[in-house]
Amino acid sequence: MSDDDEASRRRFLKATATAGALGMTGLAGCGGQQSTPTEGGGGGTETPTDSGGDGDTETETGMSMGDPLPEYLYLNNPPNYNPARHDAINLISERLNELGFNVNVQVFEWGTLYTRASQEYDYSFTTWNRGLGVDPGRRMPEMFHSSNTDPGGGNFTGYVNEDLDPVLMEQLQLTDVSERTDLLFQIQETINTDVPMHPIVQMPNLVAYNNQQVSGWVDHLAGYYHFQPQTSIEVDNSDNALRGSWSETLGTLNVLGYNNETKLIHQFEMLYDKLVRVNNNLEADPSMSLATDWSRPDNQTVTYTIRDGHQWHDGETLDAGDVKFTLEYIKENEVPLYSTQWQQIDSVERDGNQITVNFNNPLGPVHTLFSNQIPIVPQHIWQDRSDPNNANITEPVGSGPLMFDYWDQGSELGLVKNDNHWNTVNYDSRVWRIIPETSTNWELLLEGDLNYLPFSRIGRQLSQNSQEESISVQQTSGDGWWHFSQNTRLDGLSDPEVRRAAVNAIPKTAISDQILYGYPRPGWNLIGESFGQFSNPDVPTYEESLEAAQSRLEEAGYVFGDDGTIHFPAN
Amino acid sequence: MSKLSFFIRRTGQLFVTLWAVATALFMLFRLMPGDPTAYVISPQMSPEVRRQIIASYGLNDPLHVQYVRYIQNLVTLNLGRSFHSNQPVTEVVANYLPNTLVLMLSALVLAYTVGVTLGVLTGWYRGSQFEKTAVVTALVGRSVPSFWVGVIFLWIFGAWLGIAPMSGMTSMGTAPSGFLDMILSVDFLVHLFGPMVVLAFYYMGYPLLIMRNSMLEVLADDFIDVCRAKGLSERTIMFRHAARNAMLPVLTAAAIAIGFAVGGSVLIETVFAWPGIGREMIRAVLRRDYPVAQGTFLVLASAVVFMNFIADLLYGILDPRVTYD
Repeated sequence: MSDDDEASRRRFLKATATAGALGMTGLAGCGGQQSTPTEGGGGGTETPTDSGGDGDTETETGMSMGDPLPEYLYLNNPPNYNPARHDAINLISERLNELGFNVNVQVFEWGTLYTRASQEYDYSFTTWNRGLGVDPGRRMPEMFHSSNTDPGGGNFTGYVNEDLDPVLMEQLQLTDVSERTDLLFQIQETINTDVPMHPIVQMPNLVAYNNQQVSGWVDHLAGYYHFQPQTSIEVDNSDNALRGSWSETLGTLNVLGYNNETKLIHQFEMLYDKLVRVNNNLEADPSMSLATDWSRPDNQTVTYTIRDGHQWHDGETLDAGDVKFTLEYIKENEVPLYSTQWQQIDSVERDGNQITVNFNNPLGPVHTLFSNQIPIVPQHIWQDRSDPNNANITEPVGSGPLMFDYWDQGSELGLVKNDNHWNTVNYDSRVWRIIPETSTNWELLLEGDLNYLPFSRIGRQLSQNSQEESISVQQTSGDGWWHFSQNTRLDGLSDPEVRRAAVNAIPKTAISDQILYGYPRPGWNLIGESFGQFSNPDVPTYEESLEAAQSRLEEAGYVFGDDGTIHFPAN
Repeated sequence: MSKLSFFIRRTGQLFVTLWAVATALFMLFRLMPGDPTAYVISPQMSPEVRRQIIASYGLNDPLHVQYVRYIQNLVTLNLGRSFHSNQPVTEVVANYLPNTLVLMLSALVLAYTVGVTLGVLTGWYRGSQFEKTAVVTALVGRSVPSFWVGVIFLWIFGAWLGIAPMSGMTSMGTAPSGFLDMILSVDFLVHLFGPMVVLAFYYMGYPLLIMRNSMLEVLADDFIDVCRAKGLSERTIMFRHAARNAMLPVLTAAAIAIGFAVGGSVLIETVFAWPGIGREMIRAVLRRDYPVAQGTFLVLASAVVFMNFIADLLYGILDPRVTYD
C-alpha cells in the first residue's frame, strides 16, 4: 500500500470512527446487551463492553475507546503441504490486518497444527479442509455441541449455544425427512449467524481423466470413487483397464484396521458391499445395496432383507449370517474406525435372509449414518481373526464389484472385475499405480498410460492440463469446504459481531478465482447446495467487503484507533 | 595390539554406537513437534476410542517406560508396528529395502566402475584436455541436484523420445510373481536403467576425484620410476602398479557409500516412482509414524556403522603397513 493510500485510509477510518461513536452511544444505552439480530445465537455471549480493558484512551478526534483487540494467531500449513491453502491463509490474514485486526500467521506442520487447534486451543483462526460425508447432520453435534468442547471433542472453536444443543441431537433421531430438514435449516441459520466456523470456499469433487479412454462419469456427493460413478464409467483401451494413480503407498488392505484414509476408501468401496448405499440423489438405492429391501418398525429398529445368491470373491455364499457376524464382530472387537456405528448397536437378530438391528437410541437417517458406513466382511475368513485392528491382510476377500488381483506394495494394486456381482463394472480391471511426482502423473495421463487421476489436486497443473484436447475434468459440488474457524474462547472473538466482521473480510472470490483457478465456488454455507433439499438457501450471507466489516464493528461499538487498529468500546 | 584385540574392541564400539544411535533416534522423534495420533485418528472416532488408540500405541506411558520397552524390543529385533498401517516395521523394511538395495547397489557398481577407471586415467593423463573434461563432469555430477537430472532424463527419454519408462519398477498392469522373478525380467532392467544412470552420474564423481588424487600421489613415488626403468608398458604401470596402490581410499569410500545406500535416495525414488525405503522413511517422519521412522533410520545407521567397521578391518588386511596401535 502506498503512503497516499495509507493516509487516505486513515482519514477514512477516522471519519468512520466518529460516526461509529454515535452508534456506540446508542448501544451503551442498551445496558451492554448485543443489539444484533443474532441475540438468540448465543455462541459467544460476551458483549463488546465485557471484553474491553480498563485502560480507556481517546483517538485524535477525541473518541473514547478501550484496549485494542489482542494479537491473534492464524495457524498456517507449510507451503509444500498445501500451497494453495497456505497462500489463502496469508491472504486472509492480510485482509484481516487491513481491517484493523492484529493477526500473526505462524506455519506449523500438519500434526502440530491440528493438535494446537483441536487439543490445545492454542490458536485464534485456523483453516483446513473438512467434509460432512453423505449425511449433512452427522458431524454437526461433533462440531458445535457444547458438550464437545473438551480437548479432542471436536468442537474446537469452543462454540456454546444451549438453545442449539437439543436441535443438534434431535435431527439425528428424526426419521421424518421434512421434520429433520427443518431442524437442519435451523442449525444452518444459527451457525451462519454466529459463525464460529464458516466456509471460505465450497470444495468441489473433481476427477481429471483421459477422454479418449474413459467416459460416462456420473456425479456423486461422496466423490468419483463411489460405487455409482465407478460402475457407470466406460473404458475404451486395448486391455479394457481403468488405470489411476496415487502419490502415497497403500499401507494396508485391512478394511477393519485402517485409518479412514481416502486412498483406501477408494479401494474398499469397490472391494466390499454395504448393506445400503445412497445414490446421487442421496436416496437409499437397492440397486447398489446388499440389502434388497428394508423397513423401520420404529426409530430404534431397522430390518434388512439380504440379497439372495450373492457370493464372496472366493466363491463362498454370502448370506445374512455374514451380515450378523460383521455387525456383532465390530462391536465385540470395538473396531475404532466404526465406533460411531457399533456404539449404536444394541443387538442383531437373524431370521432367514432378514437381519434386524436394534439400536440403543433412536436413529433417524439410518442409512446415511449406519447402513452405508460398514463394509460387510466374510465370516468364514474373519471369525478366526481375534485382533481385527492389527490383522495383516494382503489378499482381501470381499463381495464387491471389483476383486483383488495383486498387490505389489509400494508400486501397484490390481483389481479385476467380479462377473458375479449384481451390478458389474464396465471394465475388466482397475490398476492403481503409486506415483509421487505430480508432473509424471500428468504426462502419463496425457499419453494414455494412465486414464484417470482419482486425486486431482486443484492447482496450476490441473488448470493448464485441462486445456489439453485429450483431458477432461468432471466436477460437481462436494460435501466439504475450507473452514475459517475462530476460537470463540478468546477476547474479541467471543463476540459474534467481531467474528462476522472477520468473515466479511475474507476475500472468498479472490481465493476461489485466483488461488484455486475458479474450481470451487465461494463459501456460503456448511451444508452447501450439493445436499439438495437439506441445504438452506436463505442463510445469512456475508458481503466480501472491508467497508461492510468496518461498519459492522462500528455499529457494535468498536472503535478504530488512529493507526487503524480495532479497539474494544470504552467502558 | 593384535588383530584379534582390535576386532574385539571395534565390535564393542559398534554396539555402543548402535545403542547411542537408537537412543538418539528415540529422543529425536519425541522431541519433534506434532502429535503422531493426529495422523492416524479419524475424526469419526469418539474421544474414548481415540484414548484407547493412544494407549494401544503406548504413547500415554511416561517417556522412560516407553524407552525401556523400546530397547527391550530392539534387543529381540522387534521394531514395533507402524502407527499408520499396523504393519510390523520389520515387514515394512523387508518390503522396501530390497527395492532400494537393487537400485542403489547397481548404481554404485556402475558409478565406482566408471569413476575409478576415469580416476586412474585422469591421474595418468594429468593436464590433458581429457582430464579437464572428466573432472568438470565429475564436479557437475556432484553439484547438480540429482532430482533435477532425473526430471530432465524423464523429460527427454520418457516424455519426448518415449524410450524410457517414466515410473516404477515394472510396466503398469504387470503382476510380478516374486522379487527374484521381477529383478531377472527384461522389463525390470528397462525400468532400472534410468534411475540407475542418474544415480551413477551423481555417485561417480566421488570415486573419480579420490582415485585421481590418490593416483597423483602414487605416480610421484619412486617405484613408478623403477617400473619404467624395468621396461614395463605404460598400461601395466598404470593399472597393475599405480592404480592398485591408489585404490585404498576408494575402497574405504565405497564401503561407507554402501552403508549409506541402505537409506536409498529419496529424491530419485520420488522422481522415478521407485518404491524404496528412502521414500517410506521420509513419509514416516512427516506423519510421525515413530516405529517406522525409528526402525528405518536404525537400519540405515546400523548399515553405515557396520560398513565403517568392515572398512576398518579391510584397511588392515589390504595394507600391511597399517598397524593397530
